[in-house]
Amino acid sequence: MAEMIDDELLVEQFSRGDESVFDRFVERYSPDVGALANRLLGWPGEVEDVSQEVFLAAYLGLKRFRRQCSLKSWLFTITINKCRSHRRKQLLRLRTFSRAAERRRLPSASTACENPTDMETFNHVRSAVAALPAKYREPVVLKYLQELPSDEIGQILGISQNALHVRLSRARKHLKGNLNKHIER
Amino acid sequence: MTEDKIKNLLQEADRMAGQPAQARIDLSALRRRAGRRRLASLAGPVAAAAMLMIALGVWSLAIKTPEPTREQEKIVSLETQIKQLQASTDAALSLIHEVLEDERRQSRLDELEAQLASIPDPLETIRKQVDETAFILVYQADRLYRELNETESAVETYKRVIRLFPRNQWAGVARERLSEIENRRI
Repeated sequence: MAEMIDDELLVEQFSRGDESVFDRFVERYSPDVGALANRLLGWPGEVEDVSQEVFLAAYLGLKRFRRQCSLKSWLFTITINKCRSHRRKQLLRLRTFSRAAERRRLPSASTACENPTDMETFNHVRSAVAALPAKYREPVVLKYLQELPSDEIGQILGISQNALHVRLSRARKHLKGNLNKHIER
Repeated sequence: MTEDKIKNLLQEADRMAGQPAQARIDLSALRRRAGRRRLASLAGPVAAAAMLMIALGVWSLAIKTPEPTREQEKIVSLETQIKQLQASTDAALSLIHEVLEDERRQSRLDELEAQLASIPDPLETIRKQVDETAFILVYQADRLYRELNETESAVETYKRVIRLFPRNQWAGVARERLSEIENRRI
């Protein structure tokens, strides 16, 4: 609740021309934006570029923020849109340079695991998520990794609750098909 | 059950991937980019408006200088003929005006001449008066000589007529009378 009031105040101050509050805004939300972008772009994503784009869009659009949702949801919506555009651009680049595509197909973990088998499993899991179509990957990331409530996810993605459940169900089916041996273990 | 397993697996994989490096958001660069974006968003409509203006300009120029068609050539020819007719009409009208003005002037001149003609010539009047005076003097002298036998007075009057009106016809009569009187005296 306190966070919401603080957000309200921040938007109000920014709308009145005090652009210095944007520093506080970036400081508060850049970790969340970075984490979401990283997950959507497939561990590790080009988080810095996307974050810059997200906060640039926020800077340009904050005065028009209508308070129909929380500031965080609004920012996540922007992040998802920027990640989609980024992936599209990336896909075009990868198609052009297919060798680079081969290298990037399997994202690698940045931290070492206790044993090589676990590392391979988690790489496989991340690859499976990254390989999901965007309409399934986004609900999965928001639901299971960002752990947002369903109504907020629906708001962010602009879909109904039914559509969200259908997408999550299909995403799970995809993942189950790809990760069966890890789930059964 | 499967959902929980998938969730755990995903969260574990995410945790093992680690947190992304903290994105460095350069706020001054971001503000500069925002300024450029705002300018760019303005530049689009301005450029579109400029292009539209240029297109309209080019279009209007193209409209103004089309290839002359046969109809247009006819129109141009007709326009030239109309202009020529107009010029000759103007010239004729000008001539008519000049003629009318001359007639008006001539008419005025005639009127003035008629008025002038109606005025008696003063010289002629004087000449007549002179003639009349000379006649009266000769007549009086004749009466003095013939009816009253005042010859000296008559001679004096005849001489007076000759002196005063030497070129008048009655001066000639006065000379004849003087000559007649002289002849009788001899």
